[in-house]
Amino acid sequence: MAVLMAAGIGVTIVACSDNGSSASQNASLVSGKVKHVWVITLENENYSTTFGASTPSPYLAKTLTSQGALLSGYYGTGHVSLDNYVSMLSGQPGTPQTVSDCTTYTDFKQTGTTFQDQLPVGTGCVYPSNVKTLPDQLKAKSLTWKGYMGDMGNDPARESATCGHPALNAVDLTQTAEAPSAAVPLGDQYATRHNPFMYFHSIIDSPDCQSNVVNLDSNLQNDLASISTTANFNFITPSLCDDGHDAPCVDGRPGGLVSADAFLQKWIPIITASPAYKADGLIIINFDESTYGSVVPSSTGVTITFNGGICCGQLPGPNLGSYPQTSTIAMGSAKYVLTYANYGGDNTGAVLLSPFIKPGTVTTTGYNHYSMLRSIEDIFGLDHIGYAQEPGVGTFGADVFTGL
Amino acid sequence: MLNSIHSENHSAKKSTFLAVLLSSLVSMLSLVGCTSKPAKPHAANTVKPAIHELSPAASLGRKIFFDPTLSASGRIACATCHDPAHAYGPPNALAAQIGGRNLDRQGARAVPSLRYTLLHVPLWHQERAASRMERFEELAKSDNPPTGGLGWDGRFNTPAAQAAFPLLNPDEMANVDAEHVAAAVRKAPYATEFRRVFGEYVLDDPQKTLAAVGTAVERFQFEDPSFYPFNSRFDQWLDGRINLTDAEQRGLALFNDPARGNCASCHLSQRGADGSHPIFTDFQFEALGVPRNPELKANQKAGYYDMGLCGPARSDQRGERGFCGMFRTPTLRNVATRGAFFHNGRFHSLHEALEFYVERDTNPEKWYGKGASGRVEKFDDIPKALRGNVDVVDEPLTRHPGQASAWNARDIDDIVAFLNTLTDADTKGSTTQELR
Repeated sequence: MAVLMAAGIGVTIVACSDNGSSASQNASLVSGKVKHVWVITLENENYSTTFGASTPSPYLAKTLTSQGALLSGYYGTGHVSLDNYVSMLSGQPGTPQTVSDCTTYTDFKQTGTTFQDQLPVGTGCVYPSNVKTLPDQLKAKSLTWKGYMGDMGNDPARESATCGHPALNAVDLTQTAEAPSAAVPLGDQYATRHNPFMYFHSIIDSPDCQSNVVNLDSNLQNDLASISTTANFNFITPSLCDDGHDAPCVDGRPGGLVSADAFLQKWIPIITASPAYKADGLIIINFDESTYGSVVPSSTGVTITFNGGICCGQLPGPNLGSYPQTSTIAMGSAKYVLTYANYGGDNTGAVLLSPFIKPGTVTTTGYNHYSMLRSIEDIFGLDHIGYAQEPGVGTFGADVFTGL
Repeated sequence: MLNSIHSENHSAKKSTFLAVLLSSLVSMLSLVGCTSKPAKPHAANTVKPAIHELSPAASLGRKIFFDPTLSASGRIACATCHDPAHAYGPPNALAAQIGGRNLDRQGARAVPSLRYTLLHVPLWHQERAASRMERFEELAKSDNPPTGGLGWDGRFNTPAAQAAFPLLNPDEMANVDAEHVAAAVRKAPYATEFRRVFGEYVLDDPQKTLAAVGTAVERFQFEDPSFYPFNSRFDQWLDGRINLTDAEQRGLALFNDPARGNCASCHLSQRGADGSHPIFTDFQFEALGVPRNPELKANQKAGYYDMGLCGPARSDQRGERGFCGMFRTPTLRNVATRGAFFHNGRFHSLHEALEFYVERDTNPEKWYGKGASGRVEKFDDIPKALRGNVDVVDEPLTRHPGQASAWNARDIDDIVAFLNTLTDADTKGSTTQELR
């Protein structure tokens, strides 16, 4: 897979007028009002599928949008998965490894820095401790955070139930879902590549990782019991079945948007019934990316093209080569031509729920994962990190928070 | 390969099938009144699982496992082919074992070891992305091959389900039907115990009897520590009790090196996250293109091909032409005690099996005969139209005639030395040479 992205590493120096802005400039309409945020990230669906007339996920597309806000112009920031999660938590753009999901859990080898020292130049997966993340920012301001990971630790031989990740520089065995067995009757569909906390030394080397990155089913409902036990920032990664990645799932469930919708039907009422949400909550349901593109069969194989659409002036970052990127893979007598036309993550849409959002709100404003990070930072009065500094990415504004 | 992505209806059926099996598996695990939990080979640094009392069903299963009267010949028990003295594998070097009512019929495949894998083998499945685009991408990158299930073709999801096959297979224990099995159980010395565990009237119902036999054998295989001894030299080395020799360490390094042997990419060799010892398989399917074995009588029939996952023994995946030639990756624990290697038992020495891996493509004339055109016919145990399924993208299977092989003779000696460290203490001395 590394071959696919071995197109050279260009360094882009990005001019940015908003660098180093102070917290006081980063106010949101709901700064000081929203005090608890939950992000639930689903997988790989196009906006037109999820929110189309014949949606397989009516609870998300109809019920929840009628209760909150639909952000129809929301985009992922890359392809295939991991680079999106990393961008949500840190503002870091893709590396040749993260855009290939880091099948080997390698350390990031840094060769330089760019963008006002915000973006490390190099290759690899796990960023050095000087690369800051939203959890680092929250902790510095005595705010709390937590990651809830579906299925993490179901098979303790596969990964730990807390802070579960492969050994550094080892093959990531969570790249494939584990079906049920006698030893692991529920199976284990945790995917490290969907757990952004695991890609930062500032987190995995901290004792916080063991206490804060935990199994979803064993912890979330208990933590929601009171405001004092609910973290200010909560990132929820469902299992590979519950987030819609697989279909069918390895445990026999249908998967796709059907299973993702079932997951939301279970958990959204639990979260919205919590004291923290009722008081001052915001739920963000997004997708890591979508997969607009084309598949063209021929007599010799298949040509697969991913659009990689961007919004909001998204920049590629210093670590990816120029686009489009194409590779050809021979598989027996068939030949696969894979083309990534651009570095973006295409249009997914997102749904936000909050007491500060008027039911049925719809906005077409363009947003992406960097926008979400910037918005959360603004909510908590934090500086902007990574590409969340780019003013073009925008902040959720009056078009979203319509219930003030 | 492309056909495998056009099977939505089939997948839907499969998902239902898997759901039913999952339900069955979970209920089965709680069905039997166990006085102890299954052996837990995952326990960190465990060399010997705790010795505990078997549940009533497992205790019964042990008696059944060793009972030859359950076969039509009266001479074949489960343990005949799955000999505990040989890591619950075959006691000889035959490509396939001999069975049948008159002990004159040859099986179709090499008998696998039952050690280590049964608790951990996942239900048969192929993970598939919901996104059509990602599904194509995975296909192009050979991600997510089929995985799991018992047997070389993964067609049984539990040992209990698998047990009926040898009992009724004409080439093995050769009972005509379930009633013949039930009749044998009624006469067995453990018949009263059987009724006590599974119900007073269970032996009146042949199908229930057959299912109960499977459940009992499964419990024995799950619970008895002899299936999970973890006492090889490798285990002792992992626990820091011994050192590996220089040759063994060189072999381990070659085994793990992605650019050389790349063995560990399928035969997982690293400790688990909880410190548990590896069982040397990822349970995934692979098409290696092992040469046709003339020792198998079935291969004397023109046009017959054992294509593993796509049949003919397995019937539910016959439409998946991309699966043809794929067999499930076996554990390599105790591999050095075997006398027949690969699904068709084509090779009879570990050395030769390893040579095949690294010289399959550099020296194909060494492994395959010539076709009608006079050219070497690679992958001759798969129909011509399906030979494109064979793995030519993963090391060390990427090379071409004239290129150097991934290992030299000393490398292979070192790998053999390492693989010998995977032999359990109680199977020592059962070398390949002695078996032949």
